[in-house]
Amino acid sequence: MFNLKKESFVEDRLSDGKYIEDLSMMSPKYLDGIKKILTVSADTELMSAPAYYLAAKDAPTTNAFISAMGIIQDELGHAHIAYRLMEDLGVDKEEFIYDRDPKSFRYPYAFDVPLLTWTELAVANAFYDRAGFVLLDDVFDNTTFGPWKRALVKVGKEEGFHLRHGETWMKKLSKDVDGRKSLQKALDWMFPLTVEWFGLPDSLKTQNIQLEYGFKGQSNDQLRQTWMSTAVPLAESLGLKVPAHYCENEKKYVLEFPFPSKFDASEKKWLFEEGEIPWIEPNADGYSVMKRWRNRGEMNDEFVTILQKGHKQVCEMLERE
Amino acid sequence: MIQDPKERTLREEELYQALHDVQDAEFDIDVVDMGLIYGVHFDGKKQNVIVDMTFTSMSCPALDFMSDDVIERLMTEKDVKDVSINVVWDPPWNQNMLSEEGVNVLNDWGVIKWE
Repeated sequence: MFNLKKESFVEDRLSDGKYIEDLSMMSPKYLDGIKKILTVSADTELMSAPAYYLAAKDAPTTNAFISAMGIIQDELGHAHIAYRLMEDLGVDKEEFIYDRDPKSFRYPYAFDVPLLTWTELAVANAFYDRAGFVLLDDVFDNTTFGPWKRALVKVGKEEGFHLRHGETWMKKLSKDVDGRKSLQKALDWMFPLTVEWFGLPDSLKTQNIQLEYGFKGQSNDQLRQTWMSTAVPLAESLGLKVPAHYCENEKKYVLEFPFPSKFDASEKKWLFEEGEIPWIEPNADGYSVMKRWRNRGEMNDEFVTILQKGHKQVCEMLERE
Repeated sequence: MIQDPKERTLREEELYQALHDVQDAEFDIDVVDMGLIYGVHFDGKKQNVIVDMTFTSMSCPALDFMSDDVIERLMTEKDVKDVSINVVWDPPWNQNMLSEEGVNVLNDWGVIKWE
């Protein structure tokens, strides 16, 4: 077993403004924290691939399909980068990806709701990839884990392309009435889902090792604001109605719906009329956001099965030989 | 075939330079510095432009929307009523097509290593 360093070693190194480069510089707490945030990043990138592929099949032209496949290929590459970093931290990469239970994958609930149309893919690129971009840009600016920061140079450029793909297609689709209608329909369920993407509000975060150890720089609520500061103007510039606005008095974006809310995933519909629901402890109806996240959604099992199937088949074939 | 800059009319040169406003899909570099614009042909009477354009690979995922961006930019010119893209694969793009600015940007990002 590798001898990890004491907390004081990590703290001294960070206060000197130096990066943590490998296991030999980590304390158990730092190792545990960096593995957690890398897991979320890797799993999110990986699960976006089957989620986007489902909608890519609705591409209007061959070139559009190639664009979507380019994005999917990028996402798999980003997942590989994060899993590869975890391998250097003692994680068995193959077992971690191919033998894990679907429910233990750590990625935003949004990818469990099927994207079925090209319009939904465009909005996903413009909203979900923007969320990923905001999160990873913050990690790039603030992380204390050197190898991740260097790897994110490539990731950031590619995520920028995904964003632009989403924006370009949203602009194209918004030029006629039917296109704008389909965009509005997608925005209505995808906007609140992306607002939720950034996790628990700061008021409910009891300890925040991610900030303390500089795995990231902005809090969940700050990241949510950063995301809205570009997502809202984009949608408004296309004539779409967005359930959020910038409040001059509060100097921040304010949501115009109860947050968090109950979501009917099968209908892709938010039940705003039922009012705000709890984040953690279920209410009298047994509903909370955390419970929905933990139960995962419709596509979780199917997507993980798709990703693990090929590996299982090859292993079985090799065993037979 | 890459158009000899000396063969461009003054207006064609202006339109070529206007494409500095169109960005590459991933990097902070425009399509002219990237060396993707092989030629610009302007017919003043018909008010149409044909842009000879290449891409860094035949399966470029940004082929459609970079073409659209080129068209959208040139359509903002008062004397342009129609723009079409002539995709050219000969000669194939390589890093020698980059402008000096393009070399600097991609060198900074570690994308190319200039000998």
